[in-house]
Amino acid sequence: MVKYLGKRIFYIILTLFIVSTITFFLMKFMPGTPLTNQAKLTPGQIHQIYKQYGLDKPVWQQYLVYLAGVVHGNFGISFQFSNQAVSYLIGSRIGPSLIIGGQGMILGVLVGLVLGSLGAVKANTWIDTTSTIVSILLVSIPSFVLAVLLQYYLGLKLKWFPIADWGGFMYTVLPTLALAASPLAETARFMRTEMVDVLSSDYIELAKAKGLGKVGIIYHHALRNSLIPIITIIGPLTVNIMTGSMVVENIFSVPGIGEQFVKSVLTNDYPTIMGLTIVYCAMLCVVLLITDILYGLIDPRIRLSGNSN
Amino acid sequence: MKLNSLAKLGGVALLSAVVLAGCGSKSSQSGSKKQEISWMTPSAIATMDTSKMTDLYSAQVANGTNEGLLRMAKNNKVDPGVAKSYSTSKDGLTWTFNLRHSKWNNGDPVTAKDFVFSWQRTVNPKTASQYAYIFANIKNAAKINSGKMAVSKLGVKAEGNYKFVVTLDKPQSFFKFMVTQPEFFPQNPKTVAKYGSSFASNSTKNSYNGPFVLKGWNGTNDTWTLTKNKDYWNAKSVKIQDVKFQAIKTPSTALNSYNSGKLDFTTLSGTLAANNKKNKDYVVFPEASTSYMEFNTKKIPALRNTDIRKAMALAIDKKQMVNKVMQGGDITPKGFVPADMAKHNGKDFAAQAYVKSGTDSNLAEAKTLFAKGMKQVGKKSLSLTLLGADDDDTKRATEFVQSQLTKLPGLKINNQNIPFKSKLSRAQNQQFDLVLSAWIADYPDPSNFLDLMTSNNPQNDGKWSNKQYDALMKKSESTDANNETARWNDMVQAEKILMNQQGVVPLYQQGQAALLKSSVKGVQPFPTSPQYDWAKSYVK
Repeated sequence: MVKYLGKRIFYIILTLFIVSTITFFLMKFMPGTPLTNQAKLTPGQIHQIYKQYGLDKPVWQQYLVYLAGVVHGNFGISFQFSNQAVSYLIGSRIGPSLIIGGQGMILGVLVGLVLGSLGAVKANTWIDTTSTIVSILLVSIPSFVLAVLLQYYLGLKLKWFPIADWGGFMYTVLPTLALAASPLAETARFMRTEMVDVLSSDYIELAKAKGLGKVGIIYHHALRNSLIPIITIIGPLTVNIMTGSMVVENIFSVPGIGEQFVKSVLTNDYPTIMGLTIVYCAMLCVVLLITDILYGLIDPRIRLSGNSN
Repeated sequence: MKLNSLAKLGGVALLSAVVLAGCGSKSSQSGSKKQEISWMTPSAIATMDTSKMTDLYSAQVANGTNEGLLRMAKNNKVDPGVAKSYSTSKDGLTWTFNLRHSKWNNGDPVTAKDFVFSWQRTVNPKTASQYAYIFANIKNAAKINSGKMAVSKLGVKAEGNYKFVVTLDKPQSFFKFMVTQPEFFPQNPKTVAKYGSSFASNSTKNSYNGPFVLKGWNGTNDTWTLTKNKDYWNAKSVKIQDVKFQAIKTPSTALNSYNSGKLDFTTLSGTLAANNKKNKDYVVFPEASTSYMEFNTKKIPALRNTDIRKAMALAIDKKQMVNKVMQGGDITPKGFVPADMAKHNGKDFAAQAYVKSGTDSNLAEAKTLFAKGMKQVGKKSLSLTLLGADDDDTKRATEFVQSQLTKLPGLKINNQNIPFKSKLSRAQNQQFDLVLSAWIADYPDPSNFLDLMTSNNPQNDGKWSNKQYDALMKKSESTDANNETARWNDMVQAEKILMNQQGVVPLYQQGQAALLKSSVKGVQPFPTSPQYDWAKSYVK
C-alpha cells in the first residue's frame, strides 16, 4: 500500500509538472499582453513594464524562474490584481468553490444513488420511468441554463433563496443545486443499469433462495456490487463540477476560483491562469487517487499493490 | 445583520427559508430609509494602490476614499480638493497649489510631501506603473520613467507642508483635470513604508483622505463598503453613511438582484437595456467614449482616397446602428470627440466642430462618391476585411457595418472577430484593412482624442496623416498653449479637418444604460473617469 501510494504520488507530481509546462508555453503563445490598458501604451512603454515583471527575458529563462517558484508554492503576482500574490488570491477564493463543489458532488451522488436504486428495484414501474425522466432531463440541461432557471424561479419569483452573492448556507443552495444536477443524473443512470444487472445475477438469486429479506439483499449484496462503476465515474464527475463551477459561480456571483479563472483568461493574467490550472489539476489527481483507494475498500479483489496493472 | 442571521440558520429546511426570505426583504425595505445605497459594479477592485491603478472600477472607489488636489465636478469644472486654491505662472509651466489643513483617517496631516512622495513613486520605473505615461508632461517624468534619471529630479516640490509646486515641460491647460484623477492622489508615506509591497492590498493596509473609507475588502472579494470618513475635511457635506458595493459580472444576475430589491443601482447592457427602456428607473449616463472605424491607409492604397473613405462613412446609417443594433445607452456621434465632454465659454466642443458629412448617412451620395473614388484609383472592385473584437456588442457592430458597406457596388467586406487583446495587437501592427476601435478619455479635454490621429501617434492604427492637422495640434500644445481660446480654436479646426477628410468614421458615442432607484439622489455622473461620485448622494 505504501509503495503504491508512493508511486501514485510520484505520478501526480509528474502530471503536475507536465501540465504546468504545457500551460506555461500555451500562455506564451497567446496573443496580446497582460497589461490592462494596453490600448493606451506605446510599444516602448510596454517593454519598460515587461522589464519590471521579468517578461523581457528569453522564454526559457522565464520558464525556469516560473518552475522554481511553483516548487516553492509561489505562482507570482497577479497581473489583474496588481498587489496580490496568486497563491493568496487562490487561497482566499478556493473556499466557496470547495463548498459548493463538495456539496454539489455529495448531494448529486447521494440522490443519484437513491434514484438509480429505486429505478432498478422498481424496474419498469412508474417510479422507474420517473427516475429515468429526471435523470435524462438533468443530464441534458446544461448547468448554466439550470442555474439561470433556479435563480429566476426560486430566487426572484419565490424569494426562497438569495439571487446572488455570498454569505452563509442559504447562499450556497442554488449554486449547489445547479452543480448537483449533472452528477445526480449520471449517477442515477449508471446505478440503475448496474443494479438491474446485479439484481438478476446468480448470487442474488442464491441470497433470495436462502430466504434473506429484500432490504437485506439490496443493502448487503446488490448495493455494494453496484458501486464499483459509480466510483469509476467520480473522476469525470469531478471534472464536470469543476467546469460547471466556472459558469455557475459567475451566474450566482460566488467569489470562487471558477469565476476567477474565467476572468483571468479574459485578462491574460498568466500567473493566475497557471496557478489555477495547477490547483485544478492537483485537485483532480487527488480525487482520482481517492477513488482508486476506494475501489480496494469496496471490492477487496482489487488489490492496491505496486505490481498491479 | 441579515447575513449573520442567515449564516446561523445554515442547514435549516426549506420552510424556514421562506420565512427567512420574508424577513430579509422586510429589513431591506426599512433599510431604504437609512442613508445607505447598494451599488452594483461589473468588476471587482483590481487594486487600491493609486500608483498601479489602471481600471475605471478601481478608480471609482479610489475617488470615494481619497482626494487629490482638486475634485472633479459637474459641467466640466473642478472643485477645490486638498488644495484650497491654485495659480499658474504666465508661461503656464508652473502650477502652485495651496493646500488646506486636512487629515488622513489615521490622524496624520495631509501635506505637500505626500503628493511629492506619491507622484515620484508612480513615475519610478521600479513601481512598473501602467499609467506612468499620464505624467509624461511633468518635467523629467519620461526620462525618470525610462530609468535615465533619478526620481528626485521629477518636477514637483513641497514648499513647506502646505504649498505644492509642479513644473511642466510644456503648458497644459487641462492639467487641472488631470490632478483630479487617482494617479495624482497623495499617498501617506508612513503607510506605504509600513506595508511595503502589500500596501493597499486590502482595505486595512491603506490610508484614506477622501469622503469615505473603504471597509470589508480583503483584496480579492466581490463585496465592500464605502463608509463615511469622519476625518474628511468636508465631512459635514457628506450625508450618505454607507455605499455598499457588489461586483456582479453576469448582467442578468445583476438585473434579478435589482428587481428583487437588493440593489439600488445596476448597469444594463445590450438587450437587457433595450428591454428595460420603459422602466421608470431607466437612466443613461453618456460616456466620453467614441466607437469608430479606422482605415488602414498604409496597407490599402485605395483607402488613401478621401472620396472612398467619405463614401464608406456615408453608407453607414448611424441612427439605425444606435437604435436598432446596439440598443444600449449609446447615442449617435457628433464627431470624433464625444459630445458633452469638453466645454469652452459654455460651448460644447462637439457642437462647435460639427461637420455634417462626417457623421451623416446618405446612401445615394455614398454611391456617387464611391464610384468617383474608385475611378480615381483605377479600380473596379475592392475586397476588405473588417476586424473587430469577439464580444457580443462588437460582433453585432461588425455585422451591421458589413451589411451597410456592401450596399456600395463593388465593395466586398469580410468580417473577422477575434479576442479583444489580439485585436489590439493586430491593429497596432497595421495587420488589418478596416478595424472597429473605441477610445475613452482619461480627462475631459479634446486633445485626449485628437492627439490619437496625429501622424506619429502609436494609437493611430490606420496611419491616416494630414500635415495641416498635425500642425494645428502642435500649435495647440506650443504657441497657443497658454491662450485657451486660440488653443480651443486650433482643436476645433483640427477636428473639422479630421471629419472633412474622414480620417476615421465615428460610429456611436458610448453611454451607460442603468437602473437607478428614484429614492437615491445626488449621485454625480461624469463622462470620464471616475464616472460616479457618491460624496453628495443621499437617500430620500
